[in-house]
Amino acid sequence: MQNFDLTVKILVIEDEQGLRDSIREYFAGGGNICETASDYTSALEKINMYRYDCILLDITLPNGNGLDILEALKANHYPDGVLIISAKNSLDDRLQGLDLGADDYLTKPFHLSELKARVMAIVRRKSFDGNREIIFHELTINLLAKQVSVCNLPVKLTKKEYALLLYFMANKGKVISKNAIAEHLWGDEIDISDNFDFIYSHIKNLRKKLIDTGSRDYIQSAYGMGYKFTDH
Amino acid sequence: MKLLDRYNRFSLLTTILVIVVTGFVYYFTISYILTGQVDKDLLVEEHEIFDYVKLNNRLPQVFKSEDLTIRFEPIKRDTVIRQFAQTRFYDEKEHDQESGRTLFSSVKVGPQLYRIQITESTVETEDLIRVIFIITLSIIFVLLIILLLINRVLMRKLWEPFYLTLKQIKLFNLADRNGICPVDTHIDEFYDLNQEVTAMSQRVLQDYQSLKSFTENASHELMTPLAVIISKLETLMQDVDITERQGVLISEAYTTVDRLKKLNRSMLLLARIENKLMPDQDDIDLSLFVENKMLEFQELLADKGIIVIQDLRYRQLRINRDLLNILFNNLLGNAISHNRAGGQLIIHLNELSLSFCNTGTAVALNEQTIFQRFYKSPESEGTGLGLTLVKQICDNYGFILSYTFEDKLHCFKVRFST
Repeated sequence: MQNFDLTVKILVIEDEQGLRDSIREYFAGGGNICETASDYTSALEKINMYRYDCILLDITLPNGNGLDILEALKANHYPDGVLIISAKNSLDDRLQGLDLGADDYLTKPFHLSELKARVMAIVRRKSFDGNREIIFHELTINLLAKQVSVCNLPVKLTKKEYALLLYFMANKGKVISKNAIAEHLWGDEIDISDNFDFIYSHIKNLRKKLIDTGSRDYIQSAYGMGYKFTDH
Repeated sequence: MKLLDRYNRFSLLTTILVIVVTGFVYYFTISYILTGQVDKDLLVEEHEIFDYVKLNNRLPQVFKSEDLTIRFEPIKRDTVIRQFAQTRFYDEKEHDQESGRTLFSSVKVGPQLYRIQITESTVETEDLIRVIFIITLSIIFVLLIILLLINRVLMRKLWEPFYLTLKQIKLFNLADRNGICPVDTHIDEFYDLNQEVTAMSQRVLQDYQSLKSFTENASHELMTPLAVIISKLETLMQDVDITERQGVLISEAYTTVDRLKKLNRSMLLLARIENKLMPDQDDIDLSLFVENKMLEFQELLADKGIIVIQDLRYRQLRINRDLLNILFNNLLGNAISHNRAGGQLIIHLNELSLSFCNTGTAVALNEQTIFQRFYKSPESEGTGLGLTLVKQICDNYGFILSYTFEDKLHCFKVRFST
């Protein structure tokens, strides 16, 4: 069975070094290319010279506004996907960003796993080869039909289990925290931190369904921190 | 009591008192003057009698006039004290007892001493006094009533700028951002008052705004360091050689930072709702919205074995979708996480209200404190801002949020504005 691994080339435009490094480290590996820019000028230089699958764009930058970079991208008809990452959760910024043609908007602080999932979703949407399937060993996810199959045998998953599997797939080989999973599935307003057992039972169900259909067990627990989807 | 009423009451009492006193003084002065006039007439008459006796050495002929009667009476000794007195006499013409003024005196004709009694009717004088008195009183009362009416109308008109200012102060609300407008008036006191209040409202609004933006900025500034901490912890999690102990520690730190993040977001959101920065609204079919929410939460509900009872009628609501989401997530989240295993969740929706009732602790919550900021039950892991947010959203749209505890059910009810 062929392993389809999406490799991405991204540019992180972010002035906060700590965050920049973390993102770069998280995206690195698996053939991904991650470049960074820390201010407006260097970011503008990079987007005029190279093309990226996705640009992670902070709005507040030293000596410039991230939205201007977005405008420059659109003015030149560059096809790069854009994910705005901003500390401002103001509706104006979000609407303005999306109006200008950003693909998505993520408010700081975010989970790196959430960021990666969003980036992968953008890249997949943007990919021209019409590949609407994610294949991982014997697992196949049809993104259009929202169906999962193991060796062509369909697995019946609930909406949440499907979202969970997709989330794991986007963060292959990474430990995903329980908080990130809870927030991804139910949003961040809901306090279910006292309900982490619930995530456990949820993941147990997903695991059981996959294994019962003939998949290997890819989901590992990581010392109470979270879970990891990996093939080794 | 209104100032006007108080003033009127005081001025009315004073005026009446002064009028009564003046009336008495007036009455007595006039009657004193008029009596003096009568007395003078009587004296003239007496003098004439004396002159006549001196000249003719006999008593004059007693004649009767309209209002003057003279009587002589022989007396033995000189006992008559010459004096004036109020008397009553019989008016033969009118066949009536009338009041009069009498001068008692005496005269000696030869050896015989006579008592003289000269009486003049004072009916006309009294009538005159009465008429003058009544006319004066009427004028004063008419004047008083007119003054009172003028006071009422004039005062109302004069105080109008004051009431305008007062009304604005009453309606003044920090979150509205509507200051107090200047009122057009030529009365110095009210003008000053209005100027000061207007200036004060501007100052207060400014201070409030700067405080608000400080809170908002502070929260924003906290977001980036929080993002760094979270991302570093996530990076640390990826390390392959983490021991179980380290894993637990990282997990605890991570969960705590996550809570800090939620707290910060809630605070920002509160500030934004208060500042009415969430203006766009949609028409949302609430019953459909509730059904979708229940689907979203079905796993959570099933996991706790909570039985859901729904009674949903069609209700459309114009509201910001994000805020509605927050409202539902908080109310539903509470109803689930504070529920007992195998408990109940009853949702009612109709034209007037939406309510969530759930089983849980057997003790009622304190309605006074649960909507306060940072209040939370000891066992809660939340931020303590959830219900505050719900309340703020309800306030924002003029909905009324209430809590009741009946039949062992904790009920949160949102009554829509009509």
